[in-house]
Amino acid sequence: MLEIAGLSVAYGGLHALSEVSLAIGEGKFVAIVGPNGAGKTTLFKAISGTVAPTGGSIRYDGRELLATAPAARAHLGIAHVPEGRQVFASLSVLENLEMGAYAARERTRRPSFERIFALFPVLFERRRQLAGTLSGGEQQMLAIGRGIASMPRLLMLDEPSMGLSPAVADLIFERIAALHREDGIAILLVEQRVAEAVQSCDFGYVLETGRVVLAGSSAALLADDRIRTVYLGL
Amino acid sequence: MGPGGVGRPVALIALIALGWFGLGLVVANSYYQLMLTLVPIWAVLGLAWNISSGYTGLVSFGHAAFFGLGAYTVTIALIRFGLTPWLGIPLAMAVGALAGAVIGYPTFRLRGHYFALAMLAYPLALLYIFTWLGYQEVSLPREQQAPGWYMQFGDFRVYIALALGLMAGAMLISLALERSRFGLSLLAIKQNEPAAEAAGIDTLAWKMKAIVLSGALAAAAGGLYAVVLLVVTPDSVFGILTSAQALIVTLFGGVGTLWGPVIGAAILIPLSETLQAELGDVLPGIQGVVFGVAIIAVILLAPEGVFWHLRDRLQRRRAPPPAPPFTTPVLPPTPPAVAGAGLVVKDLAKSFGGLRAVQAVSFTVEPGAILGIIGPNGAGKTTLFNLLNGFLRPDRGAISFAGREIGGLKPNRICRLGIGRTFQVVRAFPRMTVLQNVLVGAYVAAPREADATAAATEALARVGLAARAQDLAAGLSTRDLRLMELARALAGRPRLLLMDEPLAGLGAGAVEDLLAVIRSLSAAGLTIVIIEHTMGAMVRLAHRFLVLDHGSVLAGGSPREVMADPAVIEAYLGKKWAAIRA
Amino acid sequence: MTPLGAAVEAFLQALAAGIFLGCLYGLMCVGLGLIFGVMRVINFAQGDFLMLGMYVTFYLVTGFGTLAFLGPIMAPYVGALLAGPVLFLGGWLLHRLLMSRITGTRAAGSEGDGHYSQLIFTLGVALVLENGALILFGSEPQSLRSPLAARAWEIPLLYDPLSAVFLNKASVVAALLSLVIGLALYLVIGRSRLGKSLRAAADNPVAAIYMGIDVDRAHRLAFAIGAGITAIAGGLVATYHPFQPYVGFDYVIIMYAGVVLGGMGSILGAFWGGLTIGLVQQLATLVIPLQLQNAAIFVVFLLVVLLRPQGLFGRTAERV
Repeated sequence: MLEIAGLSVAYGGLHALSEVSLAIGEGKFVAIVGPNGAGKTTLFKAISGTVAPTGGSIRYDGRELLATAPAARAHLGIAHVPEGRQVFASLSVLENLEMGAYAARERTRRPSFERIFALFPVLFERRRQLAGTLSGGEQQMLAIGRGIASMPRLLMLDEPSMGLSPAVADLIFERIAALHREDGIAILLVEQRVAEAVQSCDFGYVLETGRVVLAGSSAALLADDRIRTVYLGL
Repeated sequence: MGPGGVGRPVALIALIALGWFGLGLVVANSYYQLMLTLVPIWAVLGLAWNISSGYTGLVSFGHAAFFGLGAYTVTIALIRFGLTPWLGIPLAMAVGALAGAVIGYPTFRLRGHYFALAMLAYPLALLYIFTWLGYQEVSLPREQQAPGWYMQFGDFRVYIALALGLMAGAMLISLALERSRFGLSLLAIKQNEPAAEAAGIDTLAWKMKAIVLSGALAAAAGGLYAVVLLVVTPDSVFGILTSAQALIVTLFGGVGTLWGPVIGAAILIPLSETLQAELGDVLPGIQGVVFGVAIIAVILLAPEGVFWHLRDRLQRRRAPPPAPPFTTPVLPPTPPAVAGAGLVVKDLAKSFGGLRAVQAVSFTVEPGAILGIIGPNGAGKTTLFNLLNGFLRPDRGAISFAGREIGGLKPNRICRLGIGRTFQVVRAFPRMTVLQNVLVGAYVAAPREADATAAATEALARVGLAARAQDLAAGLSTRDLRLMELARALAGRPRLLLMDEPLAGLGAGAVEDLLAVIRSLSAAGLTIVIIEHTMGAMVRLAHRFLVLDHGSVLAGGSPREVMADPAVIEAYLGKKWAAIRA
Repeated sequence: MTPLGAAVEAFLQALAAGIFLGCLYGLMCVGLGLIFGVMRVINFAQGDFLMLGMYVTFYLVTGFGTLAFLGPIMAPYVGALLAGPVLFLGGWLLHRLLMSRITGTRAAGSEGDGHYSQLIFTLGVALVLENGALILFGSEPQSLRSPLAARAWEIPLLYDPLSAVFLNKASVVAALLSLVIGLALYLVIGRSRLGKSLRAAADNPVAAIYMGIDVDRAHRLAFAIGAGITAIAGGLVATYHPFQPYVGFDYVIIMYAGVVLGGMGSILGAFWGGLTIGLVQQLATLVIPLQLQNAAIFVVFLLVVLLRPQGLFGRTAERV
């Protein structure tokens, strides 16, 4: 479904990504791990178009995304749940979800939030509240809910557990797994909780200083000691 | 701004003034003589605007306040007290300087949009006040006796000479400013005000000095304007077009250089005045249209202004000097003694709203040691740095450096006490040389210019960039920019250096070069604290690690101990890691 | 009539004038506030959109006689309402052809170089518009006095048969229309999908792109709507006030004072801010000389910026 080949990104001389290639198939769960500064967030931004690559290609259903305007990419069924949540703080929870469904209008007649409220009942309780007044965990749920409101085929999640308490992070993880399992949405996950991410994925990539240093199935990665070296330096 | 001595620019300023005056000798038509006088006057207003706004980047829409106060001071002093403009203009400068202080002090607390809008309000409030005071239209009386004493001359060329004298003076002041710590400090503010504070620059003090000087110069221009035109109205001196004119001539010619306002005034004023004279009857607003179109064209085509546009093109045409071959940094034979100083942090805490970014953090850094601060994203590492160098005030706890309590001091004070800092994102002045870039950091420890240059040169040698001192920063590689930033922090002769992700985005070879430099600095006695994610490099570099997670200390000790700690492995790889791998 | 009675009468008269003028200021501020709230750009040309709204109304009513059939009372109001779409189109084109080159997602939210050049760009546009208007329309002040401007409702004050407050009919009608249009815009921005997408683009432009919202188009729409709303306010001012090509800068300051007072970027706040400015301006005449009326606005404005930059009515969670 998504194929990235030889993707490079540089900001003012700094190489954030060099020649990164990866692929994700329909309905698959792919995890991308690596220490801070490895270029994971840059990769996501390049896919959704808020960062311009210096080389390479990103093909989605055989179509070159780099030739597609950033805002138009969401309409193709790609949803990006950004790092740090980035909810619309001055809009209500419901309005945030409506904005999430902005790109869904062409593809479904009436977006329904039932699935979202079933996954995260707290959002229904707070639907009239301004998103800026939610707790960190609730904002993360809203950000994910806003992502799936567009009825995506590919859901990109950037560090969904960042800054959350372990219990809330566990809950979010479980819901992501459910989305993949029950709704058949392809998931591209960037995550700092390496063990959980690698364990639940079909395939994983390890990024270090802008390069793919390791790739393999969940089991192969768990058996490889190089992940530990990348993270801990020892 | 370029490197080199002051001889050439001074000669050029003299040449421009003489050439312009020569033009005045040739022109007989009194209208063109007036125009030849107005160009230098508007150039002075532009130079004044450039000093407080061009170098600092704080856009003022209110320079008409100073211009108008100058014009009215001269006029009223002459009418009410019979004071000659020869003394009235200096008096106007004093009034302008005072106005600069009174306006600047409260307004500099504002940023961005608010600063620009607030500055807009001052001249307009003054406009209505002067109208109300009954100064709608004030003419300067003709003095029959001793007209020269009252600055009234039958020969218009004297006015041209006066205006040129004022302009040359303003240019020399700007030149002196550009070549001193004053100008460099203002540029540092424009680039990144917090970083300037962290480099030991007292930003408020410099901004105040700039606006006081700028107010005085703008008032002098206004005073001379009143003398030349012999009639002053609130609209002509306090009006928004006057403020706009200051900004337009500078922007058109080039911001942040003394040549900019002069080039802008020399092109735009004759153009619009001529159009006004030729077509003014048929097309009454043609002057404003020309100004407007000039602004739009400059913003769209050459946003940096005519001067920088031409200079960059010229520089591009000249073949760029070949970069010197790769060399590992060579330290000066005797590294200067840097008395290391220890840092003791006790029970430090800082919250933002409900988020506890840093809580109960305590640690000690021995003099001369390298401490690596590591931890997952959002662990509070950068917040900790911001507390240590004074960007943030701690809610609780104590920070003591070399036996002195520093918690809650302003960043420039902390820098003066010997704590330097580098930033994740390198901000260089691309159009300045490497040495000038480093000089900004040297002023904190060097009272005289020569000392500062010596400190900057020495700092460049210590990071191995001595050979590139005279190159423009724009041509540096990422590695060299990092080294330059390190040199900038070292130039202030710190005893403790805080480094925020010095290795981010560097290739493997460049990482090794930086590690070598950091090790040599440590060997010379400097105490170093580093935030960094490249763990492979960090375990080889740091003497001790401090691991932060969710704002608190998770572990501390030697790299090997720390990285074997199950709690650390869990923080990095997730709590299930051990279970899965077991 | 007792001195106290006269003072009360003068106060009520100024209060009424302030409220009616304030509603018009409020509508102008709403137009500017929308542009500022979504694009975070200081637009100096806003005063000239107002001025152009006045001239468009003027020419629609008198110039070509198009609206003459509506009669002298209706024609100016219809003309003012039509000035909105005309300036909407003008704003849209200005943004599409020139402004989008220096604004957009790159510069949104930043106060660096992008912001600096936008500010100066709009100053250039303002100079071209007002001086171009001088060339096209001449410097003679024009007026479009509605017959209503010469009539007033007389409200007798109960305590004293000799005193009364006069409400100029033209200013009352203009104030009511301003209220209605302001409220309509508030509802559109608050309730419609379009309005929500503008608010989302204002709140977090990058996240809005992730939602599939074309942020450049959102900016263009906000700019065009803001220009149109302010032009309508201009047309309404023209029904009882003379105008000339240079009026723009007088009003742009009033508008910014109102928008800053309202907390920069909230539509409701901008309206309250404009209303407050109208009240300050009219009530100030009771205690200080008429010429200082405008100086009072700037003093209030400076005090607010320096002491309470988030605005009198601003709340951080509520933007646009």
